[in-house]
Amino acid sequence: MANELATASTLHTEDVSVWFGQRQVLDKVSLTFPANQVTALIGPSGCGKSTFLRTLNRMHELIPGAGLAGSVYLDGKDIYGESVDAVDVRINIGMVFQKPNPFPTMSIKENILSGLKLSGRKIGNSEELVETSLRRASIWNEVKDRLDDQALSLSGGQQQRLCIARSLAMNPQVLLMDEPCSALDPGSTRRIEETIEELSDSMTIVIVTHNMQQAQRVSHQTAFFLADDNTPGGVVEFGSTEDVFNRPVDARTNDYVNGHFG
Amino acid sequence: MTNFKPRPAKQPWSRSNKAQQREIIAASILPALIAAAIYFITKIDYTVALIGLYLPLQLVVAGAVGLRAFGRRGIWDAMLMVLTIFLSANVLVLLASVLASVIFKGAPALSSQFFTQNNIYVSTTTSLDYGGVGHAILGSLIVVAITTLLAVPLGISIAVFLTQSQSRLRGPVRTFTQAISGLPSVVSGLFILSVMPLLHLEHVGFAGALALFPLMLPTIARVAEEALRLVPADLRMAALALGAPNYRAFFKVILPAAKTGIMTALLLGLARVIGETAPLVLTLQVNNGTNVNPFSGGMASLPRYIYSFVNTKYQTSQERAWGAALVLLMLVGLLFGAARILGRKKSLKTRAKKVSKKGKH
Repeated sequence: MANELATASTLHTEDVSVWFGQRQVLDKVSLTFPANQVTALIGPSGCGKSTFLRTLNRMHELIPGAGLAGSVYLDGKDIYGESVDAVDVRINIGMVFQKPNPFPTMSIKENILSGLKLSGRKIGNSEELVETSLRRASIWNEVKDRLDDQALSLSGGQQQRLCIARSLAMNPQVLLMDEPCSALDPGSTRRIEETIEELSDSMTIVIVTHNMQQAQRVSHQTAFFLADDNTPGGVVEFGSTEDVFNRPVDARTNDYVNGHFG
Repeated sequence: MTNFKPRPAKQPWSRSNKAQQREIIAASILPALIAAAIYFITKIDYTVALIGLYLPLQLVVAGAVGLRAFGRRGIWDAMLMVLTIFLSANVLVLLASVLASVIFKGAPALSSQFFTQNNIYVSTTTSLDYGGVGHAILGSLIVVAITTLLAVPLGISIAVFLTQSQSRLRGPVRTFTQAISGLPSVVSGLFILSVMPLLHLEHVGFAGALALFPLMLPTIARVAEEALRLVPADLRMAALALGAPNYRAFFKVILPAAKTGIMTALLLGLARVIGETAPLVLTLQVNNGTNVNPFSGGMASLPRYIYSFVNTKYQTSQERAWGAALVLLMLVGLLFGAARILGRKKSLKTRAKKVSKKGKH
């Protein structure tokens, strides 16, 4: 497969509800993430958007007591199907976390190749894969002379782009980002936003963000999540970013995007 | 420009100037000199001189200097500093005097033959030119090696179970491990002694290793657990999000990140058992000759050798015991050094790579 880029896929959820123990945190979320589109999930803290993001590659299963109802389809195939292994799902649907988390015991290069090693796949042309991945995350020029340095020698913003590159090396069809810029300075944030835009040519991206401007800058469509007191979270409004921010249908969406609460 | 006045030349953040430094040096030496002089003239008890005379004197002088230099908060600062240094010096002196007495009393016994020969034909009065602890070094190493081989896999497995699983049995397992760590070594020896007939074991090296096992296991398990717990949960998440099965995430990401801590667990475990005497007295038959078979015949060990020779009233025997104690210390030092080097190997390699690369540019 010689580092050929995968084609983006459509991700579609149907009535996804999540429980942590007895407490329901998400109620019947049905969304569609079309191929090559960037979707922003916005909403106040505790409304379940991060949890929802995690159900998209089955990362929520790592939380003790988590339960799920509903289905998530990747190109029509249910990722919660009986014969589907969560490990395979995560290979196709990559994830970038809020805090940069490069592997501290590995060099920059080893970090990029770690996904292949960890998922037990053969590494074809490793040099080329490292360069392509770092280029796609727009960090190649900064690190090309120090690929054998420890990953922790990079700055926070560089570490986050390294983590993006690490996910890209797996050649995912979908990339999930959980507030990827909330721990970064404006400069690094801008670079990551540029990266997101370039990446949307080859993959589907879902990004959770607390930053309204960021959602408007990077996303094609936006879903607004909200959880009223003691009720599970759900989607209040979902549509093109343009519509959600400028012509919101729901009064609560209007209040939120204009900064009246949250 | 407003009438801006430059600040005085004295920098607010500098701790002291030259004159103050001289004062501080004088304040640290004078009380000790005065106390020493009084101690030598009046011949009062040493402890009284140290705690009743020197310490109060030093505190008062330090307080005064502190007051002059930094005002009222300087008094507390200086007095606390004196107390801290005084107490840590006590610990250091304690440690140094243990080391010094072992080295000074043990060094005369050391010779090449002391390391290589065994204890056959040696009586309590034999000159130090004959016999040695070679057999005991081998015996100790073999017994502790067997204990380590048994305790490390199980100890680390317990640590992994306690940190990586969500099982409800974690609580009981942790309590149980902590309970064993309170086990007196002599009880451990007695326990193994009582089950030896069931296992058809004589008083052989393997029995001794079994008796040390309950002492080493909880140390390794607890320290390794702490080491694994310190690895951020983010890293495991990152590995799993890349499509790693749990076991690969553990072996390739979590375990390497905890490597130094686990090496420390091993070292502390070794340190815990290598000097243990009581379990070996009960379970391992003494052998004056060299025996490397842990399943047949008795075996010597350094602690046991020290124990039997120090209990005699003959000078050469006691010197042998001190010599063996020094050898034991050296052995511990060697094992620690070796483990540290092994634990550091990887980072040294990458550092070397970096250096050679820089050279090329």
